Parts: sequence; C-alpha cells; structure tokens
Amino acid sequence: MISFLKKDLLVFWRDRKEVLISILAPILILIVLNVAFSGISIDDTDELDVRAGLVLEDDEAAAFKQFEETLREMNLAEMEINAMMDQAKTLSPSGVMVSFFEDPELSSWIHTIEMSEEEAKKQVENGELEAIIKIPAGFTHDMLSQVMLGQPADTAIRFQIAEHSFETDILASVIDHYIETLNFQLALDAVTKDEGTELVLPQGGRDVISENIVEIELAQYYTIAMSSLFALFIAATVAVKTATEKRERVFNRILLTNSSPFSYLMGKVISTFLLAWIQLMLVFIATDLMLGIFPEKLSEFWLGIIVIVTFFSLTIAGLSAIFTSLTLRMSNINTANGLFTMVVMVLAALGGNFFSLEQFPNWVQELSQWTPTGVAIDLFTEFLQNGNAISFAVPLVKQFVFFCGFFALGILLFPERGRS
Amino acid sequence: MIETVKLSKIFKGKKAVDEIDLYIDEGESIGLLGPNGAGKSTTISMISTLLKPTSGDVKLNGKSTIKNPGEIRRILGVVPQEIALYEELTAYENLKFFGEIYHVKKNILEQRTQEVLEMVGLKKRQKELVKTFSGGMKRRVNIAAALLHQPKVLILDEPTVGIDPQSRNHILETVRKLNEEYGTTVLYTSHYMEEVEQLCKRVYIMDHGKVVAAGSKEELLSILSSEDMIQVTLSETSERVVEKVKAINNIRRVDVTDKSLRIISKKGSSILSDLVHAVESEAIHLTNFQMEKPSLEDVFLHITGRTLRD
Repeated sequence: MISFLKKDLLVFWRDRKEVLISILAPILILIVLNVAFSGISIDDTDELDVRAGLVLEDDEAAAFKQFEETLREMNLAEMEINAMMDQAKTLSPSGVMVSFFEDPELSSWIHTIEMSEEEAKKQVENGELEAIIKIPAGFTHDMLSQVMLGQPADTAIRFQIAEHSFETDILASVIDHYIETLNFQLALDAVTKDEGTELVLPQGGRDVISENIVEIELAQYYTIAMSSLFALFIAATVAVKTATEKRERVFNRILLTNSSPFSYLMGKVISTFLLAWIQLMLVFIATDLMLGIFPEKLSEFWLGIIVIVTFFSLTIAGLSAIFTSLTLRMSNINTANGLFTMVVMVLAALGGNFFSLEQFPNWVQELSQWTPTGVAIDLFTEFLQNGNAISFAVPLVKQFVFFCGFFALGILLFPERGRS
Repeated sequence: MIETVKLSKIFKGKKAVDEIDLYIDEGESIGLLGPNGAGKSTTISMISTLLKPTSGDVKLNGKSTIKNPGEIRRILGVVPQEIALYEELTAYENLKFFGEIYHVKKNILEQRTQEVLEMVGLKKRQKELVKTFSGGMKRRVNIAAALLHQPKVLILDEPTVGIDPQSRNHILETVRKLNEEYGTTVLYTSHYMEEVEQLCKRVYIMDHGKVVAAGSKEELLSILSSEDMIQVTLSETSERVVEKVKAINNIRRVDVTDKSLRIISKKGSSILSDLVHAVESEAIHLTNFQMEKPSLEDVFLHITGRTLRD
C-alpha cells in the first residue's frame, strides 16, 4: 500500500500542469472574486441614496393611555399595572422605529422625512421620494397587546414604493429584517422577563441576534466554497490518473503482480486525502496571507480549520474510491470523466459552493445538510461566526460516515478480474 | 509445466480464440506466430490470468489456474505489447515500484533493479524520465519490469513492434540469454517470422483464433518437403505470362511480386524447359532463376493462403 501511495503522489507531483491547476487555480479565482465582490460589498453604501417619507399616524401617548385602560379592565393589581406600563414605555415600538431611521449610519443613505400621507403621495408622484413608510394609527397599542398580552395584532407598518429599484429593494429588506428582529426580541423579552433578561433592540438592517456573533463576509464564504469545490475535483483528478493507468495497461501489469485490489484502492484513497488536505490548507493560508481573508485569527482558529479540513478531505478520499472503481469498470474514459464532473457539480450546487442556499426552500437546505460539501461549508461558516462555541461532533461524524459509505461503495464497485 | 486445454474466448459472439491446446515445458522457448488479429494476445492474456476464458482451462503443473490464479502469477513475468510504464517516473522509479509490488525483498530489490537495468543496457540512464526515452528504450524498460522477481516463465507479447534495429537486436539477445543462460522458459509471440525462427525451438502457428500448425521448426518446414520453391526474375511480367506459367504441369502455386514469380512445384519435377518456353513465348526474358529453402513464412502461406503481414 505504501508503494502505491508513494507512486501516486510522485506521479501527481511530476504532472506540474495538474499541480499548478490544483493549487493555483483556486487561489487565482478567489483573488478575482475578492476583487469583484469588494465593489458591491453590503457595507459600501456610499453610492446609495434613498429618500422616503415617514408617515406617523400612530399617537404613542394615546396608545399608552388606551393600553393602561385595557390593563385595568383585566382587574390587575395596581402594582402590576404600573410595572407593565413602565415596561410598555420602555418598549415604545413606534418610537424605536423612528429612532431607528435616525441612526447616523442608516440616515447617511436612507433619508426619512416626517410628513402627512397626502404630502408623501404627492412627492412620490413628483419623483421627489422613492418610498413611503407608514406607521398606522393603533400600531403601538397593537404591538403592546400582542407582545405583553398575547392578543392578535391587526395593524402593521406599511411600505409603499413608486417603482422597484435596487435602492427600494434594499430599503424593503432593511425594514423586513428590522421588524422580524423586533418581533423576535419582543417575544424573547416577554418570555424571559421574569428572569431579568434585558431587552436587546435591533441595531439596524442586519440580523444581529446575539452580540457574540461575528458576521461572515462574502470573501470568506467564497474562500470556503471555492476551495471545497476544487478539493472535490481532486477525487476526479485521481480517477483520471487511474484511467491513464488503465489505458496504458499499467493496471494490468499491477494485477499480474498479485497485489491486492484493496492496497491499490487504499493508495488512491490516501493520496487523494493528502492532496485534498494540502490543497485546502494551502488555499486557506495563501488567501489569508494575500487577501487577509481571516484577520486576527489565533492558533485556536487554525486548529479548528485543520480539524474540519481533515474530515472533509477524508470524505473526498472516499469519493475517489468510488470514482476509481467506476473508471476501471467503464470502457469509455470520456463518459467516466463527464459523469464525475456532473457528480462534483451536483454535490457543489447542493452544498452551496456556487451560491448560498438561504433563499431556497427548506427541503433544499435540509438536503444540503446531507451532502459532503453542504456539511463542510456549514461547519466552516458556523466556525467562522461562533468559533469554538459550536459543536463539531455531528458534522464531523457525518463526514466520517460519508467517508465510510463512499469507501465501502468503492470496494463493492471495484471490478473483478477480467472486468476492467 | 503450462498447458491450455481447449481454451476459448468469445467477444460479442465472435470467437477470438477457438479451442486451442498448447503446452510449454520447463526451460523451453516457444513461439506463437500469427498475423495481427490471430488471437495471440488474447491467448496470452488468458494464460497470464488477465482474462477469464469463455471455456477451456489453463493448467500449471496439472492444476487449473482459473480459480486460483495466484500461483501462476508468481512464476510469470509478462511483457505486454503496450509500454505499461509510468511515463512521469524515471526508469529506476518504475522498476523500484514494480519490484515492491512484486514483493521482491527490500534487501535485494536494489541489487535486482541494477541487474535488470544492466541486462537491458539502461543502467546509465536509469535516472531519466521514461517519457524522454526512445521507443526502443521504453520497450527495454518494459521487459526489465517483468524480470525483477526472477520469473520462471517469461511471456513476451510482440516486444519488438515499432523499434529501431539496435534495440530490437538488444531485446532478442536478452531473451536468448535469459532462455539459454538462465534457464527461463519463454513464450514469445510475434508476427515477425525471423524472430521466432531465431529464438524458439518450438512454434505454434495461429490464424483466426485457431492453432493451424505446431511443432519444431524442422517439423513445420517438413510440411513443405514435398515441394520445391523457385524464385524467378523476369524482364517484365504480364497476366498472360502468369497464366501460362500456372498452366505448366506440376506447378502448384504462383505468387507475383514486382518482376518476380515465386513458384511452388512438385518436388523433383522438371519444369525448367516448360517455364523458359512459356516466358519466351510472350517475348519476355528470364533474367534470374533460384531454388529457395522454405521458411516458416512459407509454411504459414502454405497453410493459410496468406502472408503473416496480410
């Protein structure tokens, strides 16, 4: 087995073109992607300028009075009513919404002007405004009743736009995220108020659920996605080397030496593992050194990366066992090559190597969690966001199961004598 | 030592090898002669356990090798027709790898590698990549790779195809040496009659998947002992003159090559005066007349009606 491993690594190393493609191609693509994406970073709002009319029909003082009356009708104790009113004033849903748009960062590119609905409509028609954000009458009362008393809410913030544009889509998205987060935080507060947890109000249009979370950047996502895609191709590359061995009858010569097919297959599996591991680590290190993809990361981070890369490389090695056996079985090398490329592409698409699957239906995301790349990318991104706080066990066990399954299938598919 | 019993192989309904029986005794040098597509390589693949026969058996010392191929593989060294080497590795690296997987003991592998490199005359170029070698050098490494484990039987499948005369001579000399000096049993396939004549004591002639003749060279040549072979050169040839020659009594066959006629006649028959008369009646001159010794090529032609290179 060691002889096969040495030979496979040496043959790969001598094919300088293949080495350059495997190592340099992902790094080059990542540099290009990094440059491309740096131009449309979501933090780069200098070019954006959205003007919206803020129609405030909600009377907060009247809403608090109405809410107090509602509490009294419920025959609650005076002390309890006072406590709930204090909490209601702290929540102040419409007040928070208004101050949200007054946030210096947001107000630098979303300019809201308070006005009547009639005036706002006129300005939208004249093209002076791109959108109207309306906080309707009863919004505060409804929100407080919903959150604190569990009653259904009828009113909602209304968002009207003149016509769809990149800017208005972003504004809509900002408001949607804000409301979702607000609802979540209010609900969370209602559940945990007895435990003394402080309410965390949303910070803007981005999903900040916990202060500990670090957002993953697009460049980091594509570094993970592209490097794992190229690593998958190592399995196909090793299979193509098998095709050469078959075409040039070296495989027959190997059979004549009485060598066990298991040793031959293990040589392929271990060499794939090592090549994929080296490729992934080199890409991570090189992109970090050149592009600063993972800034200020400590040795703990790199240790975690090594663990994830090791298990993912193991899965790729298992895949190479299947590809190798299929290569030996199939008579047409081009068909085999096409099949492997297709399998890699499907795994990559389902795993999220080309695009994030967040916008896809749940079943697609669930399915992704049963693909090697899906598990790997998810683990990588979670690890980047949360560090060692995440559990490695389940994804790593999944990767190991993938390896065992693939390797077993590779052995089953290995052709009998005279069938290759 | 090794024998095949009604060995057959059918590919997609077509019989590539048709119930052939052959045997190889220890220390013998056997030739398998036949044109391309005769079934030589398929036969070798079955003997060396790479292909499962459709029917029949390959026996080693009386025991079938079909179910237990390990034993015959251990004593065989097979030199395939293709250059079955890693082009990206050096000659030394290739031999080291094959030696290791042939389970040659570590302490003697280096020595064996150097011995076989010496044998094929490539010791000085062992550190060069195989892809930089000429066709003949590659073929020599191809042979060396089959010798590392000191096989008792060496099977060579057309080892001299497409190489320069120098490498060819080197290969033939190596095979001769292995058989005569080291006692290695040799099964040599070729469609070059002169190679088989030079190296092999016994020959099997194959055509269309069948063994059409077998025996020692002398036995095979005796097939033509009842005939004379005459090579005649004319000033020019024509269809009429060929027809007239064919019509001469006791002439059995006439083959035309350029300005020559190759005539096979009944042994001892007097055809010369009739031949001269037939040629001159067409105003053609007979410029040369030569009695020839028959070769295996002639035997093949006699049996199959075509040449080895057809």
